[in-house]
Amino acid sequence: MQGASATGVLSHLSRLEVQARSRKTEPQQRSRVTELKAAAEQLRMRREQLRAEVETHKNLQKLRTSMDKRREDEEGEEGMDEDSEDSELLRLMARHTQLNDLLYAHHIIGGYDAIKTRQGQGLCLSLPTAYDGVFLETYNLEIDVKPTPRIARHNIPPFIPLSDLVEQSDMKTDIRAFLDTLSQHLNALSGRKQQLKLVKELHKSVEVMESNALCSILVMMVTVPKEKTAILCTLDYTDHTRCLPTRVHFECNGKPLADSPDWDKTRSLLLETPVHKALSTMRRMGNIV
Amino acid sequence: MDDSTRRFLQRLIRRIPAQMLKTTLDKWGRLTAAQKQSMDFTEPKWAFTERLLDICEENGWTWKHITELEMTYVIDNPNQGMWYAFQLMDPEDDAHSVELTHFKEQFKSHLSELARPVSVKMKKHADEAIWIRIAWGDSFSRPNHQKPTYVVHHLQTPYVFVTSLTSKQKPLLSQALVLSTRHQAIKDASLSGRKLGAIRDLLMRQYQQVFPTSYPSPLAERNETVSNPQIEKEQAKSAENRLQMACEAFGDGMLPQLQSSVYKLETKFKDHTNKTMTEREEPFRCVVKFASTNLLESLRHCASSGIASTPVTPLLSSIPLKGRNYFIIKDNGPGPSSQTRQTQN
Repeated sequence: MQGASATGVLSHLSRLEVQARSRKTEPQQRSRVTELKAAAEQLRMRREQLRAEVETHKNLQKLRTSMDKRREDEEGEEGMDEDSEDSELLRLMARHTQLNDLLYAHHIIGGYDAIKTRQGQGLCLSLPTAYDGVFLETYNLEIDVKPTPRIARHNIPPFIPLSDLVEQSDMKTDIRAFLDTLSQHLNALSGRKQQLKLVKELHKSVEVMESNALCSILVMMVTVPKEKTAILCTLDYTDHTRCLPTRVHFECNGKPLADSPDWDKTRSLLLETPVHKALSTMRRMGNIV
Repeated sequence: MDDSTRRFLQRLIRRIPAQMLKTTLDKWGRLTAAQKQSMDFTEPKWAFTERLLDICEENGWTWKHITELEMTYVIDNPNQGMWYAFQLMDPEDDAHSVELTHFKEQFKSHLSELARPVSVKMKKHADEAIWIRIAWGDSFSRPNHQKPTYVVHHLQTPYVFVTSLTSKQKPLLSQALVLSTRHQAIKDASLSGRKLGAIRDLLMRQYQQVFPTSYPSPLAERNETVSNPQIEKEQAKSAENRLQMACEAFGDGMLPQLQSSVYKLETKFKDHTNKTMTEREEPFRCVVKFASTNLLESLRHCASSGIASTPVTPLLSSIPLKGRNYFIIKDNGPGPSSQTRQTQN
């Protein structure tokens, strides 16, 4: 391309080309301007949308607080006076948030948590357990709703008589009764397990001789301070829905202990208070080491 | 100590790996401190065995003590050989209150009546498991300690785990177990594996199961470790769904280690391109076996990575759900495998 003269066809053509190109940049600038104007318009519309959402949210909050206060005061006063459709919708939305919050609160305090699965064909329930203000294990049940309610899957330990409980209560009409009984069993099991754990942790001078997975029997060896004799203490938890034993038995050297007011008091203590607390009391009173 | 006892001890020491000898002997607890001092754990096994044999002669120990040592070793290292699970059925009313000493007495007396002579040793382990070692004899010979059967049971649960049991001994053991645990029957649970802990955890549901919840699931929260915020996963949502379904079917975290799953098919052959096979009257018998070092982990990974379609087919999800790894599939649905295996009682 080099070496061409300043005049000539090719150089004329290239000059024309440059002119044409400079003419194109002007329309380009114009289209750029319209582009930016369109973008600005869009952002303005978005801002209006967001403002409207914020307004609605504020109204919703106001309605929520008035609804919550109304529930507390038990008064039925009208709060809003806008056109009926909007206020109706707003009221429904506020009620929806209220119910969601209620469900969440129920979940936090340890109530049953139920959700639908598989497009309404299944129901999954979670049963939390707690003892002495401490949350322990959570157990789950997955139930097939159709044709009759039956349990599909669960993580409940095998020594809880689940099939017996299902037979005893009708899942179709009164599932609440079934859940309540099951929850009783599970909470009692967690409670007894927790008591056993605390006995092992807090009372190193007491030796746990026998226990089982269901925590329905507990045999401990305690030592009497003065004579240093070992007493075998058996607690039977025959009622599996309770955290306290139904029978307490003492043995010394293979023979049952002779009756005495001290040991009677200890027996009633063990029957009425959780075992780890009872042992603390017994140690404090000097009955055992 | 007679020859057979001596040979038994030699074989036992050969079986125990060198690094576990010290701990096993300590747990056995029969050696005095002085005797323990005199043992040299670094010398070769044959020399060590000679020294131990001398100590046994000194103390006058018999079969009873040596089998105790074997039991201590097996309790700490149960993953040798295949374990089979059995399930006790139809508990009587007082099955829930069977307590340890009662069970021990009853089992020993029932088994001795059924299989005289027999040598039974029972031990309660720290985790509430009762271990039973049975050496069987017959009318011609003393109990054979070389091939003992080990049984593990947790009271108040319906499961019993057994290893090294012959088909002749099975009915005797079943009868003794049923009577001493106050149940009416015992059946094969169709679950077997090399690791006792794994099959026990599977049946007692001691692994982390996942259930759908309406509140943020721990799975979603844990997967939030984003390596590079500039990288966006195209199909993150479907991957998350697959992971959720895989975990719901198999569980989360460490899964019990099963080694295999066997499906025995007795279904009619169905393939339109193969007329000769499809026209046959009898079902097409075929056995499909999945094997892996950790079968459930592999299956979960298949489901979460998309190799196996989700929702997980019930053929695979039945393994953890029903707690079995032997299935018989007939045309009208999976049938109970107790149809082909003999159930006693």
